[in-house]
Amino acid sequence: MTTRIRIQQQDFDLAEEYQLLRQSESAVGAVVTFCGLVRDFELNVDGAESIDSLNLQHYPGMTESLLESIVEEANQRWDLIAITVIHRVGNLAPSEQIVLVGVASQHRADAFESAQFLMDYLKTQATFWKSVTGNGKQQWIESKASDQQAAARWDGSGDE
Amino acid sequence: MINLLFFGRLGDFAKQVPGTIEASTPAEIRQLLAADFPDLARELHQPQVLVSVNKMIVGWDQPLFDGGEVAFLPPVTGG
Repeated sequence: MTTRIRIQQQDFDLAEEYQLLRQSESAVGAVVTFCGLVRDFELNVDGAESIDSLNLQHYPGMTESLLESIVEEANQRWDLIAITVIHRVGNLAPSEQIVLVGVASQHRADAFESAQFLMDYLKTQATFWKSVTGNGKQQWIESKASDQQAAARWDGSGDE
Repeated sequence: MINLLFFGRLGDFAKQVPGTIEASTPAEIRQLLAADFPDLARELHQPQVLVSVNKMIVGWDQPLFDGGEVAFLPPVTGG
């Protein structure tokens, strides 16, 4: 399997990443890509608050190895040909791209399911922390129970 | 000496904390910090806070060795 794992400040090009996945092998019959973007608001206890920028912190060295483990686990669970995970760090503005997960496989079910698995695990296990700035104040984003639940559905023996 | 790192919101509570400390376990570090940084220590006692040694998640009683890197990790929020 071909893997590309990147943590970077600069933006990425979805079309270019798609072509790399598509051309990874002639056996590729399905490519699924997911892009996460910066919203211009954040829901919190006070309702929706507009944000001016989002900052992403990571733990250099550890974050990369956690992403490698998550990618390896996806490869064991599904029949995959290539996986790309790109996560940006630093300051980002609303509507900028944050994360790309792309999977190439022979058949679509493997690509669809593993892409969801990769995002669910990335959101709950990879050491990234978001803070947002809006109305002149910075605040850390709280982790969501819904993300934990989404990741938990992949535990157990697939009887969900 | 043990090198200390605080991520996410924990960093806001740890701005005055020295970068190194003498301790034999992460639990001891938490205990030592409680004297001068009670707010930080309270945060470190939250059950969702994880600790890593040399970039591996470990238990709070993991033995530490000179030059090790201990990081305190609040719940992650990437993606």
